[in-house]
Amino acid sequence: MVKLKGLEETLDELYEIEGVEACILYRIDGVPITIRTPGYREHLLETMFWLEKQIKRVLGEMNREGLRETIFYFRNNRILIAPSSKSTVLVTIAEAEANQQLVSLETLRATKIIEECVA
Amino acid sequence: MKKGRISTGIYGLDDLMGGGFRENTINIVRGGTGVGKTTFALQYALFGLNRGEKVIYVTFEMSEEQIIRDSRDLGWVELGEHIDNKNLKIIHLFGEDLTFPSLDFAEIVRKSNPSNNPRIVIDPLTYPTFYSEKEKRKSLSTIFQELRKHGTAVIVLEEPADGNNQQDGSAMPLYLADTVIYLQNLGFGEMYDRTLRIMKNRGSKHGEGLYPYSIETGFGIVINASEKQIERVKPKTTFDDRFKKAIEQTKSMGKLKDLLEARIGVLQKNWTHDEDPSRTLALVLEEEKKGNGKVKRT
Repeated sequence: MVKLKGLEETLDELYEIEGVEACILYRIDGVPITIRTPGYREHLLETMFWLEKQIKRVLGEMNREGLRETIFYFRNNRILIAPSSKSTVLVTIAEAEANQQLVSLETLRATKIIEECVA
Repeated sequence: MKKGRISTGIYGLDDLMGGGFRENTINIVRGGTGVGKTTFALQYALFGLNRGEKVIYVTFEMSEEQIIRDSRDLGWVELGEHIDNKNLKIIHLFGEDLTFPSLDFAEIVRKSNPSNNPRIVIDPLTYPTFYSEKEKRKSLSTIFQELRKHGTAVIVLEEPADGNNQQDGSAMPLYLADTVIYLQNLGFGEMYDRTLRIMKNRGSKHGEGLYPYSIETGFGIVINASEKQIERVKPKTTFDDRFKKAIEQTKSMGKLKDLLEARIGVLQKNWTHDEDPSRTLALVLEEEKKGNGKVKRT
Protein backbone atom coordinates (compact mmCIF):
# COMPACT_ATOMS: atom_id res chain seq x y z
CA MET A 1 0.00 0.00 0.00
CA VAL A 2 2.83 2.41 0.87
CA LYS A 3 4.52 1.62 -2.42
CA LEU A 4 1.29 2.19 -4.31
CA LYS A 5 0.81 5.52 -2.55
CA GLY A 6 4.32 6.54 -3.57
CA LEU A 7 3.56 5.61 -7.16
CA GLU A 8 0.30 7.55 -7.23
CA GLU A 9 1.94 10.61 -5.67
CA THR A 10 4.78 10.52 -8.19
CA LEU A 11 2.29 10.59 -11.05
CA ASP A 12 0.32 13.39 -9.35
CA GLU A 13 3.46 15.51 -9.09
CA LEU A 14 4.40 14.90 -12.70
CA TYR A 15 0.88 15.76 -13.84
CA GLU A 16 1.02 19.06 -11.95
CA ILE A 17 3.90 20.39 -14.08
CA GLU A 18 2.67 23.20 -16.28
CA GLY A 19 2.03 22.02 -19.81
CA VAL A 20 1.76 18.33 -18.98
CA GLU A 21 -1.54 17.22 -20.46
CA ALA A 22 -1.43 13.62 -19.35
CA CYS A 23 0.81 11.05 -17.78
CA ILE A 24 0.12 7.37 -18.03
CA LEU A 25 1.86 4.38 -16.55
CA TYR A 26 1.56 1.39 -18.88
CA ARG A 27 2.44 -2.20 -18.44
CA ILE A 28 4.81 -3.28 -21.20
CA ASP A 29 2.00 -5.20 -22.92
CA GLY A 30 0.19 -1.88 -23.43
CA VAL A 31 -2.34 -2.22 -20.62
CA PRO A 32 -2.72 1.12 -18.79
CA ILE A 33 -2.01 0.78 -15.06
CA THR A 34 -2.75 4.27 -13.85
CA ILE A 35 -3.68 7.43 -15.67
CA ARG A 36 -3.65 11.17 -15.02
CA THR A 37 -5.67 13.00 -17.66
CA PRO A 38 -8.01 15.96 -17.78
CA GLY A 39 -11.65 15.41 -18.77
CA TYR A 40 -12.58 14.25 -22.24
CA ARG A 41 -10.22 15.43 -24.97
CA GLU A 42 -10.48 13.73 -28.32
CA HIS A 43 -6.85 14.17 -29.36
CA LEU A 44 -5.67 12.55 -26.12
CA LEU A 45 -7.97 9.63 -26.62
CA GLU A 46 -6.56 9.06 -30.10
CA THR A 47 -3.02 9.22 -28.75
CA MET A 48 -3.88 6.77 -26.00
CA PHE A 49 -5.37 4.30 -28.48
CA TRP A 50 -2.19 4.57 -30.51
CA LEU A 51 -0.01 4.07 -27.45
CA GLU A 52 -1.90 0.97 -26.31
CA LYS A 53 -1.30 -0.63 -29.67
CA GLN A 54 2.27 0.52 -30.22
CA ILE A 55 3.96 0.45 -26.83
CA LYS A 56 5.17 -3.12 -27.15
CA ARG A 57 6.75 -2.40 -30.52
CA VAL A 58 8.27 0.93 -29.48
CA LEU A 59 9.81 -0.72 -26.42
CA GLY A 60 11.25 -3.46 -28.59
CA GLU A 61 12.92 -0.87 -30.82
CA MET A 62 14.17 1.12 -27.81
CA ASN A 63 15.65 -2.02 -26.33
CA ARG A 64 17.41 -2.83 -29.59
CA GLU A 65 18.83 0.68 -29.92
CA GLY A 66 19.67 0.95 -26.20
CA LEU A 67 17.52 4.06 -25.67
CA ARG A 68 16.43 5.35 -22.26
CA GLU A 69 13.66 7.53 -23.69
CA THR A 70 11.87 8.12 -26.97
CA ILE A 71 9.97 11.19 -28.10
CA PHE A 72 7.14 11.33 -30.61
CA TYR A 73 5.47 14.48 -31.89
CA PHE A 74 1.73 14.29 -32.60
CA ARG A 75 -0.01 17.49 -33.67
CA ASN A 76 0.67 19.90 -30.80
CA ASN A 77 1.84 17.23 -28.37
CA ARG A 78 5.22 15.90 -27.42
CA ILE A 79 4.98 12.32 -26.22
CA LEU A 80 7.79 11.05 -24.08
CA ILE A 81 8.09 7.31 -23.57
CA ALA A 82 10.44 6.11 -20.83
CA PRO A 83 10.66 2.56 -19.45
CA SER A 84 10.30 2.68 -15.68
CA SER A 85 10.98 -0.94 -14.74
CA LYS A 86 11.15 -4.42 -16.27
CA SER A 87 7.38 -4.47 -16.68
CA THR A 88 6.26 -0.83 -16.76
CA VAL A 89 6.70 2.21 -18.98
CA LEU A 90 5.89 5.83 -18.22
CA VAL A 91 4.42 8.09 -20.88
CA THR A 92 4.17 11.87 -20.53
CA ILE A 93 2.09 13.85 -23.00
CA ALA A 94 3.01 17.53 -22.94
CA GLU A 95 1.93 20.59 -24.88
CA ALA A 96 4.43 22.09 -27.32
CA GLU A 97 4.64 25.21 -25.12
CA ALA A 98 5.65 23.25 -22.01
CA ASN A 99 9.18 23.46 -20.65
CA GLN A 100 10.40 20.33 -22.43
CA GLN A 101 13.65 20.05 -20.54
CA LEU A 102 11.83 20.15 -17.21
CA VAL A 103 9.25 17.59 -18.41
CA SER A 104 12.01 15.25 -19.58
CA LEU A 105 14.00 15.54 -16.38
CA GLU A 106 10.96 15.07 -14.17
CA THR A 107 9.75 12.12 -16.24
CA LEU A 108 13.10 10.39 -15.90
CA ARG A 109 13.15 11.15 -12.18
CA ALA A 110 9.65 9.69 -11.88
CA THR A 111 10.72 6.49 -13.67
CA LYS A 112 13.35 5.91 -10.98
CA ILE A 113 10.79 6.29 -8.19
CA ILE A 114 8.33 4.04 -10.01
CA GLU A 115 11.02 1.39 -10.40
CA GLU A 116 11.59 1.44 -6.65
CA CYS A 117 7.85 1.16 -6.04
CA VAL A 118 7.04 -1.70 -8.40
CA ALA A 119 10.21 -3.79 -8.23
CA MET B 1 -22.33 -7.65 3.77
CA LYS B 2 -24.61 -6.00 1.24
CA LYS B 3 -27.99 -7.72 0.79
CA GLY B 4 -28.13 -10.10 -2.14
CA ARG B 5 -24.35 -10.32 -2.26
CA ILE B 6 -22.07 -13.28 -1.73
CA SER B 7 -18.62 -12.40 -0.51
CA THR B 8 -15.94 -13.54 -2.91
CA GLY B 9 -13.60 -14.41 -0.02
CA ILE B 10 -10.76 -12.75 -1.92
CA TYR B 11 -9.20 -10.10 0.26
CA GLY B 12 -9.84 -6.69 -1.27
CA LEU B 13 -12.10 -7.82 -4.13
CA ASP B 14 -15.56 -7.19 -2.65
CA ASP B 15 -14.87 -3.44 -2.42
CA LEU B 16 -14.13 -3.36 -6.12
CA MET B 17 -17.30 -5.11 -7.21
CA GLY B 18 -20.10 -3.58 -5.22
CA GLY B 19 -19.86 -5.94 -2.23
CA GLY B 20 -19.22 -9.31 -3.86
CA PHE B 21 -20.89 -11.63 -6.35
CA ARG B 22 -24.63 -11.25 -6.85
CA GLU B 23 -26.62 -14.19 -5.53
CA ASN B 24 -27.46 -16.97 -8.00
CA THR B 25 -25.03 -15.91 -10.66
CA ILE B 26 -22.32 -17.48 -12.79
CA ASN B 27 -18.92 -15.96 -12.17
CA ILE B 28 -16.02 -16.91 -14.39
CA VAL B 29 -12.39 -16.63 -13.33
CA ARG B 30 -10.06 -17.05 -16.24
CA GLY B 31 -6.35 -16.90 -16.78
CA GLY B 32 -3.26 -18.84 -17.82
CA THR B 33 -1.40 -21.50 -15.89
CA GLY B 34 -0.12 -20.48 -12.47
CA VAL B 35 -2.09 -17.27 -12.00
CA GLY B 36 -3.98 -18.58 -8.96
CA LYS B 37 -7.31 -19.71 -10.40
CA THR B 38 -7.60 -22.75 -8.13
CA THR B 39 -6.48 -20.65 -5.16
CA PHE B 40 -9.30 -18.23 -6.03
CA ALA B 41 -11.81 -21.07 -6.19
CA LEU B 42 -10.65 -22.66 -2.91
CA GLN B 43 -10.65 -19.29 -1.17
CA TYR B 44 -14.21 -18.63 -2.34
CA ALA B 45 -15.25 -22.06 -1.08
CA LEU B 46 -13.48 -21.81 2.27
CA PHE B 47 -14.84 -18.36 3.03
CA GLY B 48 -18.36 -19.78 2.86
CA LEU B 49 -17.52 -23.06 4.61
CA ASN B 50 -16.01 -21.24 7.58
CA ARG B 51 -19.25 -19.31 7.92
CA GLY B 52 -21.54 -22.32 7.92
CA GLU B 53 -22.38 -22.36 4.20
CA LYS B 54 -22.45 -25.49 2.02
CA VAL B 55 -20.12 -25.91 -0.94
CA ILE B 56 -20.16 -28.17 -3.97
CA TYR B 57 -16.76 -28.42 -5.61
CA VAL B 58 -16.80 -30.03 -9.05
CA THR B 59 -13.42 -30.88 -10.45
CA PHE B 60 -12.50 -32.30 -13.83
CA GLU B 61 -8.77 -32.38 -13.25
CA MET B 62 -7.90 -32.98 -9.61
CA SER B 63 -8.88 -35.71 -7.19
CA GLU B 64 -10.26 -34.99 -3.72
CA GLU B 65 -6.89 -35.94 -2.19
CA GLN B 66 -5.05 -33.50 -4.45
CA ILE B 67 -7.39 -30.67 -3.52
CA ILE B 68 -6.99 -31.37 0.19
CA ARG B 69 -3.21 -31.57 -0.15
CA ASP B 70 -3.01 -28.31 -2.16
CA SER B 71 -5.15 -26.47 0.39
CA ARG B 72 -3.02 -27.79 3.23
CA ASP B 73 0.07 -26.47 1.42
CA LEU B 74 -1.58 -23.07 1.30
CA GLY B 75 -2.16 -23.26 5.05
CA TRP B 76 -5.84 -24.14 4.89
CA VAL B 77 -6.02 -27.21 7.07
CA GLU B 78 -9.75 -27.25 7.72
CA LEU B 79 -10.88 -28.57 4.32
CA GLY B 80 -10.88 -32.25 5.37
CA GLU B 81 -12.96 -31.42 8.41
CA HIS B 82 -15.58 -29.71 6.23
CA ILE B 83 -15.76 -32.84 4.05
CA ASP B 84 -16.24 -35.02 7.16
CA ASN B 85 -18.99 -32.69 8.38
CA LYS B 86 -20.66 -32.95 4.97
CA ASN B 87 -20.49 -29.21 4.40
CA LEU B 88 -18.22 -29.70 1.43
CA LYS B 89 -18.87 -32.15 -1.35
CA ILE B 90 -16.11 -32.69 -3.87
CA ILE B 91 -17.20 -34.30 -7.14
CA HIS B 92 -14.47 -35.61 -9.40
CA LEU B 93 -15.80 -35.99 -12.94
CA PHE B 94 -14.45 -36.87 -16.33
CA GLY B 95 -15.91 -34.95 -19.22
CA GLU B 96 -16.18 -38.09 -21.30
CA ASP B 97 -18.48 -39.67 -18.72
CA LEU B 98 -21.22 -37.13 -19.34
CA THR B 99 -23.56 -38.39 -22.04
CA PHE B 100 -25.75 -35.31 -22.13
CA PRO B 101 -23.61 -32.67 -20.42
CA SER B 102 -26.28 -30.03 -20.11
CA LEU B 103 -28.64 -32.45 -18.35
CA ASP B 104 -26.21 -34.73 -16.51
CA PHE B 105 -24.12 -31.96 -15.09
CA ALA B 106 -26.93 -30.00 -13.49
CA GLU B 107 -28.46 -33.22 -12.17
CA ILE B 108 -25.19 -34.28 -10.51
CA VAL B 109 -24.85 -30.91 -8.80
CA ARG B 110 -28.48 -30.92 -7.69
CA LYS B 111 -28.32 -34.45 -6.26
CA SER B 112 -25.00 -33.97 -4.52
CA ASN B 113 -26.23 -31.31 -2.16
CA PRO B 114 -29.89 -30.42 -1.89
CA SER B 115 -29.24 -27.60 0.60
CA ASN B 116 -30.41 -24.09 0.01
CA ASN B 117 -28.21 -21.88 -2.16
CA PRO B 118 -24.78 -23.47 -1.80
CA ARG B 119 -21.57 -22.05 -3.18
CA ILE B 120 -20.67 -23.99 -6.30
CA VAL B 121 -17.18 -24.27 -7.72
CA ILE B 122 -16.27 -25.81 -11.06
CA ASP B 123 -12.52 -26.11 -11.43
CA PRO B 124 -11.85 -26.07 -14.33
CA LEU B 125 -14.68 -26.23 -16.83
CA THR B 126 -12.92 -28.15 -19.57
CA TYR B 127 -15.63 -27.56 -22.09
CA PRO B 128 -13.84 -28.76 -25.25
CA THR B 129 -13.67 -32.29 -23.90
CA PHE B 130 -17.36 -32.71 -23.53
CA TYR B 131 -19.19 -30.32 -25.79
CA SER B 132 -19.46 -30.58 -29.50
CA GLU B 133 -18.72 -27.22 -31.09
CA LYS B 134 -22.21 -27.09 -32.51
CA GLU B 135 -23.89 -27.61 -29.18
CA LYS B 136 -21.40 -25.77 -26.99
CA ARG B 137 -23.24 -22.50 -26.60
CA LYS B 138 -26.60 -24.10 -26.06
CA SER B 139 -25.23 -26.66 -23.60
CA LEU B 140 -23.37 -24.04 -21.60
CA SER B 141 -26.39 -21.80 -21.54
CA THR B 142 -28.52 -24.66 -20.17
CA ILE B 143 -25.91 -25.60 -17.55
CA PHE B 144 -25.54 -22.01 -16.43
CA GLN B 145 -29.30 -21.59 -16.17
CA GLU B 146 -29.55 -24.67 -13.95
CA LEU B 147 -26.59 -23.64 -11.81
CA ARG B 148 -28.08 -20.19 -11.27
CA LYS B 149 -31.24 -21.80 -9.94
CA HIS B 150 -29.23 -23.89 -7.53
CA GLY B 151 -26.61 -21.50 -6.12
CA THR B 152 -23.85 -18.99 -6.77
CA ALA B 153 -21.13 -20.45 -8.91
CA VAL B 154 -17.47 -19.69 -9.51
CA ILE B 155 -16.24 -21.32 -12.68
CA VAL B 156 -12.55 -21.52 -13.37
CA LEU B 157 -11.49 -21.38 -16.96
CA GLU B 158 -8.03 -22.10 -18.30
CA GLU B 159 -6.83 -19.71 -20.95
CA PRO B 160 -5.38 -21.37 -24.06
CA ALA B 161 -1.61 -21.74 -23.74
CA ASP B 162 -0.94 -19.58 -26.80
CA GLY B 163 -2.84 -16.74 -25.16
CA ASN B 164 -5.00 -16.38 -28.23
CA ASN B 165 -8.48 -16.44 -26.82
CA GLN B 166 -10.16 -14.88 -29.79
CA GLN B 167 -10.22 -17.91 -32.04
CA ASP B 168 -13.63 -19.05 -33.11
CA GLY B 169 -14.62 -22.34 -31.62
CA SER B 170 -12.07 -22.38 -28.83
CA ALA B 171 -13.34 -19.32 -27.03
CA MET B 172 -15.79 -19.71 -24.19
CA PRO B 173 -18.85 -17.58 -24.77
CA LEU B 174 -18.12 -15.28 -21.86
CA TYR B 175 -21.29 -13.30 -22.45
CA LEU B 176 -23.19 -16.18 -20.86
CA ALA B 177 -21.58 -15.42 -17.50
CA ASP B 178 -22.62 -12.70 -15.08
CA THR B 179 -19.12 -11.82 -13.97
CA VAL B 180 -15.81 -12.32 -15.70
CA ILE B 181 -12.58 -11.86 -13.76
CA TYR B 182 -9.29 -12.03 -15.60
CA LEU B 183 -6.10 -13.00 -13.80
CA GLN B 184 -2.74 -12.46 -15.43
CA ASN B 185 0.90 -13.09 -14.63
CA LEU B 186 3.63 -11.63 -16.82
CA GLY B 187 6.43 -13.26 -14.86
CA PHE B 188 8.91 -10.42 -14.26
CA GLY B 189 8.53 -10.59 -10.50
CA GLU B 190 7.29 -7.01 -10.22
CA MET B 191 4.18 -5.51 -8.66
CA TYR B 192 2.15 -5.30 -11.84
CA ASP B 193 2.99 -8.77 -13.12
CA ARG B 194 0.19 -10.44 -11.23
CA THR B 195 -2.89 -8.43 -12.01
CA LEU B 196 -6.63 -8.82 -11.74
CA ARG B 197 -9.17 -7.13 -13.99
CA ILE B 198 -12.91 -7.23 -13.62
CA MET B 199 -13.97 -7.50 -17.25
CA LYS B 200 -17.66 -7.65 -16.55
CA ASN B 201 -19.98 -7.56 -13.55
CA ARG B 202 -23.53 -7.70 -14.83
CA GLY B 203 -26.06 -5.46 -13.09
CA SER B 204 -23.48 -3.92 -10.81
CA LYS B 205 -20.85 -1.21 -10.74
CA HIS B 206 -17.27 -2.43 -10.60
CA GLY B 207 -13.72 -1.17 -10.60
CA GLU B 208 -12.29 -0.81 -14.08
CA GLY B 209 -8.63 -0.67 -13.17
CA LEU B 210 -5.75 -3.07 -13.28
CA TYR B 211 -5.28 -4.34 -9.74
CA PRO B 212 -2.05 -5.94 -8.55
CA TYR B 213 -2.40 -8.97 -6.34
CA SER B 214 -0.22 -11.42 -4.51
CA ILE B 215 -0.71 -14.99 -3.37
CA GLU B 216 0.24 -15.23 0.27
CA THR B 217 0.60 -18.64 1.91
CA GLY B 218 -1.98 -18.86 4.65
CA PHE B 219 -4.20 -16.12 3.25
CA GLY B 220 -4.42 -16.81 -0.47
CA ILE B 221 -5.08 -14.02 -2.95
CA VAL B 222 -4.71 -10.50 -1.57
CA ILE B 223 -5.52 -7.58 -3.86
CA ASN B 224 -3.36 -4.52 -3.38
CA ALA B 225 -5.55 -1.80 -4.87
CA SER B 226 -4.53 1.74 -4.01
CA GLU B 227 -6.73 3.99 -1.88
CA LYS B 228 -7.44 6.07 -5.00
CA GLN B 229 -8.56 2.99 -6.93
CA ILE B 230 -10.94 1.98 -4.15
CA GLU B 231 -12.22 5.54 -3.85
CA ARG B 232 -13.00 5.57 -7.57
CA VAL B 233 -15.51 2.72 -7.14
CA LYS B 234 -17.40 4.42 -4.33
CA PRO B 235 -20.46 6.51 -5.28
CA LYS B 236 -19.91 10.26 -4.96
CA THR B 237 -22.31 12.40 -2.96
CA THR B 238 -20.75 15.69 -4.13
CA PHE B 239 -23.28 16.14 -6.91
CA ASP B 240 -26.48 15.25 -5.06
CA ASP B 241 -27.92 18.72 -5.75
CA ARG B 242 -27.53 18.16 -9.52
CA PHE B 243 -29.54 14.95 -9.31
CA LYS B 244 -32.17 16.66 -7.17
CA LYS B 245 -32.48 19.43 -9.75
CA ALA B 246 -32.83 16.88 -12.57
CA ILE B 247 -35.57 15.03 -10.67
CA GLU B 248 -37.45 18.32 -10.32
CA GLN B 249 -37.22 18.82 -14.07
CA THR B 250 -38.94 15.49 -14.69
CA LYS B 251 -42.15 16.85 -13.12
CA SER B 252 -43.20 18.36 -16.42
CA MET B 253 -42.76 15.07 -18.25
CA GLY B 254 -46.15 13.52 -17.62
CA LYS B 255 -46.24 9.77 -17.58
CA LEU B 256 -42.49 9.46 -17.92
CA LYS B 257 -41.94 11.31 -14.66
CA ASP B 258 -41.93 8.30 -12.33
CA LEU B 259 -39.75 6.22 -14.61
CA LEU B 260 -37.18 8.95 -15.05
CA GLU B 261 -37.18 9.84 -11.39
CA ALA B 262 -36.39 6.23 -10.51
CA ARG B 263 -33.66 6.05 -13.14
CA ILE B 264 -32.02 9.25 -11.99
CA GLY B 265 -32.14 7.86 -8.45
CA VAL B 266 -30.34 4.71 -9.56
CA LEU B 267 -27.74 6.77 -11.40
CA GLN B 268 -27.20 8.92 -8.32
CA LYS B 269 -26.56 5.85 -6.18
CA ASN B 270 -24.02 4.62 -8.73
CA TRP B 271 -22.32 7.89 -9.72
CA THR B 272 -18.65 7.11 -9.09
CA HIS B 273 -17.13 9.72 -11.39
CA ASP B 274 -15.40 12.87 -10.24
CA GLU B 275 -17.05 14.75 -13.10
CA ASP B 276 -20.22 16.79 -12.74
CA PRO B 277 -23.24 14.78 -14.02
CA SER B 278 -25.10 17.90 -15.22
CA ARG B 279 -24.22 17.41 -18.89
CA THR B 280 -25.30 13.76 -18.88
CA LEU B 281 -28.52 14.57 -17.03
CA ALA B 282 -29.37 17.47 -19.37
CA LEU B 283 -28.77 15.30 -22.43
CA VAL B 284 -30.94 12.47 -21.14
CA LEU B 285 -33.78 14.79 -20.16
CA GLU B 286 -33.66 16.54 -23.53
CA GLU B 287 -33.76 13.22 -25.42
CA GLU B 288 -36.53 11.83 -23.24
CA LYS B 289 -38.64 14.92 -23.91
CA LYS B 290 -38.73 13.99 -27.60
CA GLY B 291 -42.12 12.60 -28.46
CA ASN B 292 -43.24 12.80 -24.87
CA GLY B 293 -47.05 12.76 -24.74
CA LYS B 294 -47.44 11.13 -28.16
CA VAL B 295 -47.11 7.54 -27.01
CA LYS B 296 -49.82 6.03 -24.91
CA ARG B 297 -48.37 3.66 -22.34
CA THR B 298 -50.50 0.64 -21.54
